[in-house]
Amino acid sequence: MQAGLKATIETKKNELGSEFQPKWWGKTLGLYVHVPFCATSCDFCAFYQVQGDRAGIRAYLEGIEEEAAQAAVAGQELRTCFFGGGTPGLLKAKDLQILCETVRRNFRGSLVEWTVEMAPSTVKIDKLKVLKEQGVTRISMGVQSFDDALLDKLGRQHSRKQILKAYDLIREEGFESVNLDLIFAIPGQNEARLKEDIRQAAQLGPDHLSTYCLTFEEDTALFVQLSEGKVALDVDLETRLYLTCWEELERLGYEQYEISNFARRGKQCLHNVNTWKMDQWIGLGPSAASQFRGRRYSNVPDLDRWLEGVKANHPNWIDQSDLNEALLLEDALIFGLRMSDGVDLNELQERFGRKLTRSQSKTIEALESDGKLRKSGGRIRLTKAGRLLSDAVGSTLMV
Amino acid sequence: MKTDHKRNFSIIAHVDHGKTTLSDRLLEHTATVTQRVLTEQHLDSMDLERERGITIKSHPVTMHYKAKNGELYQLNLMDTPGHVDFSYEVSRSLAACEGALLLIDAAQGVEAQTVANANLAVDQDLVIIPVINKIDLPSANLDLCLKQLEDLLAIPAEEAILASAKNGIGIEEILEAIALRIAPPRWTDCGETRVGVFDSVYDAYRGAIVYIRAFSGKIKRGDQIVMMSDNTRAEVKEVGVFTPSMQKSETLTAGDVGYLVCNIKNVAEIKIGDTITHYHNQAKEMLPGYQEVRPLVFSGIYPVETSDFEKLKAGMGKLQLNDAAFSFQAESSMALGFGFRCGFLGLLHMEIIQERIRREYDVDIISTYPSVIYKVEKVIGEVIEVDNPINLPDPSAIERILEPTIKATIHVPNDSIGDILNLVMDKRGVCDHTETLDETRLMLVCNLPLNEILVDFNDRLKSITRGYGSMDYELDEYRESKLVKMDIMVNGEPVDAFSSIVHQDKARVKGKVLCEKLADIIPMHLFKIAVQAAVGGNIIARANVRAMRKDVTAKCYGGDISRKRKLLDKQKEGKRKMKNIGNVSIPPDAFIKVLKNDRD
Ligand SMILES: Nc1nc2c(ncn2[C@@H]2O[C@H](COP(=O)(O)OP(=O)(O)OP(=O)(O)O)[C@@H](O)[C@H]2O)c(=O)[nH]1
Ligand code: SF4
Ligand SMILES: [Mg+2]
Repeated sequence: MQAGLKATIETKKNELGSEFQPKWWGKTLGLYVHVPFCATSCDFCAFYQVQGDRAGIRAYLEGIEEEAAQAAVAGQELRTCFFGGGTPGLLKAKDLQILCETVRRNFRGSLVEWTVEMAPSTVKIDKLKVLKEQGVTRISMGVQSFDDALLDKLGRQHSRKQILKAYDLIREEGFESVNLDLIFAIPGQNEARLKEDIRQAAQLGPDHLSTYCLTFEEDTALFVQLSEGKVALDVDLETRLYLTCWEELERLGYEQYEISNFARRGKQCLHNVNTWKMDQWIGLGPSAASQFRGRRYSNVPDLDRWLEGVKANHPNWIDQSDLNEALLLEDALIFGLRMSDGVDLNELQERFGRKLTRSQSKTIEALESDGKLRKSGGRIRLTKAGRLLSDAVGSTLMV
Repeated sequence: MKTDHKRNFSIIAHVDHGKTTLSDRLLEHTATVTQRVLTEQHLDSMDLERERGITIKSHPVTMHYKAKNGELYQLNLMDTPGHVDFSYEVSRSLAACEGALLLIDAAQGVEAQTVANANLAVDQDLVIIPVINKIDLPSANLDLCLKQLEDLLAIPAEEAILASAKNGIGIEEILEAIALRIAPPRWTDCGETRVGVFDSVYDAYRGAIVYIRAFSGKIKRGDQIVMMSDNTRAEVKEVGVFTPSMQKSETLTAGDVGYLVCNIKNVAEIKIGDTITHYHNQAKEMLPGYQEVRPLVFSGIYPVETSDFEKLKAGMGKLQLNDAAFSFQAESSMALGFGFRCGFLGLLHMEIIQERIRREYDVDIISTYPSVIYKVEKVIGEVIEVDNPINLPDPSAIERILEPTIKATIHVPNDSIGDILNLVMDKRGVCDHTETLDETRLMLVCNLPLNEILVDFNDRLKSITRGYGSMDYELDEYRESKLVKMDIMVNGEPVDAFSSIVHQDKARVKGKVLCEKLADIIPMHLFKIAVQAAVGGNIIARANVRAMRKDVTAKCYGGDISRKRKLLDKQKEGKRKMKNIGNVSIPPDAFIKVLKNDRD
């Protein structure tokens, strides 16, 4: 082939850029950066995390730089960004600055939302200043509980006092939006203690709250305790605690928009909403997942192997799958139903250019007649009873 | 070993009277199995037997015993099952013997299968050595047992040996009795070689392994043999004895029990009860054959994965080699697809076979509601046999239906007679006569429909009599009866596999019980599911499967859709192990569970 022609094709492809993809997706893109470092390992944690040393962190930052350069393709506008972990807040101010600059340098577009997760014990004034400067709009703080005894149970590294202090610092710096994460169903936590946690959280006045039911994931210290019979599962209590969260937060003026997410009007986390709507996002860092250009994949959950791949410009991916309309429709349905707004069936079917399967339609009908789902104006939404069953609903909707 | 120093005997008794435990003591005393490797109930070698603590198959083993007279004897023992469903195993074992140890539990006394099995031994002209076992128990009643021996079995009380298999009492005396009282091998002077086939088993490496008793002549590796029932010719590849594991040996001669491997590929060609002779010097007459067993209970067995059909078929073929009483034939069902109609001797037999298919052949299966064989006289005069409710003609085409009945011999303590008579009545039976066994016990002879005693009769009998009642039965005549087909609908869809034929007056009660049990067994679903019973289109009973209340995991972070999908997929996988009918997942063992009595 002529060299000239080859070049032309390349340019054409580059020009096409974002067009070079199915029509299901808008032009916006989310970016997730996984920061895998933690001070110690929490008892319930199943995230990929390691204890970071200086050299490890430096190598990581370089790796992100390269991975970002490889991932950033012309034409794609970044709209939201999320630093999660691990404990991104554990990075020193200087390192946070490098990480933020890496993002800004490599990707085009103006971010409408940029979240950084921080553990209360890591919140420091210099770090907050850097983040603010760089354009971070939102801080998400893993409070878990305000009850020191329960915090102990989680093997957590902070106290109620530290939480309050950290919150004040964040607010002083003037971030647009703050989220607090709470965990419920901690062994020993009943409805009254959960209500108290929620009350204290709301009193601080964040515009966003997430409440997660403690899960016993394999390979965690808590799971070991469970299998040794030291702690017990109580499904009925969990159910009541879910409902307690939903009811209390609604009462306090936080609108539930997903199973575990609540926000003041207009303050939903756009980044997450976009992933649940099956938009596109790129994940950087070990274990980060991506859904991009017709494919879904995750980086290996291993710092060294991830680095190796990035260095060789040959990413180490796991769980790769090609996306197709049927799969995306299914996922948009399953994950959409986890949101309070539900999904617009017509819109969904139009977007992916295909109909629901017969069994999916049947399931939806059955859910409706069973009072687990409501239809209105083309949208379907799960009722509270339905939402409590969203995993079962999800697996039933899977083809 | 000289032929006249060989002794072949079975241990027979009512279920649980201690046959296998006594075998342990004999193996131990004759040093056949060293103390170190001897496990409790050693001969119950199948996992299923060990788990359930019952013997399912007869197990042969050869021992050597030096008697007090200084002579060395070869003792071939067969431990037999006690449960009524496996009495066919007992009669085959007895056919390979000259004697039998008849065990009686000292605390229980003579029970129904004691009598039935003793009769089998008498029919085959065997020497019976009565052993009163478990004399160590505080509740042992020797006087009663000895009296029953004379009164009920016509065996002189002085012949009885008092023993405790558990504590090793009376073992020497039993061994002496075997050596001295049991007759030497019979039919040795035939002239030609005659070897009886009493069992077989499929081995993945060697193919069919044939269990044999040599009556005359000898047999060894390289011999050209003939299966006399159909003149199949084969060559012997290996012979050996049971120690109790299989051990190769040179030759088997008259009076020996052992095994044989030959070059017959097709397992179906081995027939239990066949006679083997030499090709070049053939016997004129076969050994007395076995009475053919007719399955009494039928049920469909289907693979959960339709693609497992061939695997299931092959597995059943091999299993049949080890269980001649089990039969199967291809059939199909609307709900379950392609499978097999299988015949069994009883419900325990059915349960055991299903479990063996699952374990030994690694196929997930689901079974249908069991049925007996009905005779249906059609309006047009034709009479058909129906062993599957699906095949019952439309009521308008039926003149009358006849159902099989049994003659049951029931032993019960005097004080429970009232309750037992009520039970018999409840099961649509009639009591023909009662007889006093002794001051504490009665024997009832009753006629009952077979389909009524299948499910929970024995359990209820046991619970009414606090374990002291027992029953034996044999097939009796067919009787006209008002029977109807009862359909089961799950979530509004009829499931043919769950249909059954029931008596008209009992449909409502049975339907209710069935629906409730099924509703209990079907796991919680996303939706409320109705289980309904219907006769002729009318709903007669209904129950609901509980709907689940919570199944949600909160976290769904970092865009890790794949991880979440995997979680949901796992749930789905759980459902795949079940049979999905409509959108209801039914566990494969649902019907075995439905049949289990949970009355007490
Ligand atoms: N106390 C006492 N218990 C015994 C004795 N012999 C057997 N048992 C117990 O009786 C139960 C049944 O023993 P098995 O040897 O399995 O009886 P079985 O006759 O082989 O049973 P099936 O093969 O199922 O018919 C076991 O729990 C034994 O431990 C005995 O002499 N004394
Ligand atoms: S919960 Fe967060 S802080 Fe704790 S170990 Fe896991 S990632 Fe690190
Ligand atoms: Mg036994």
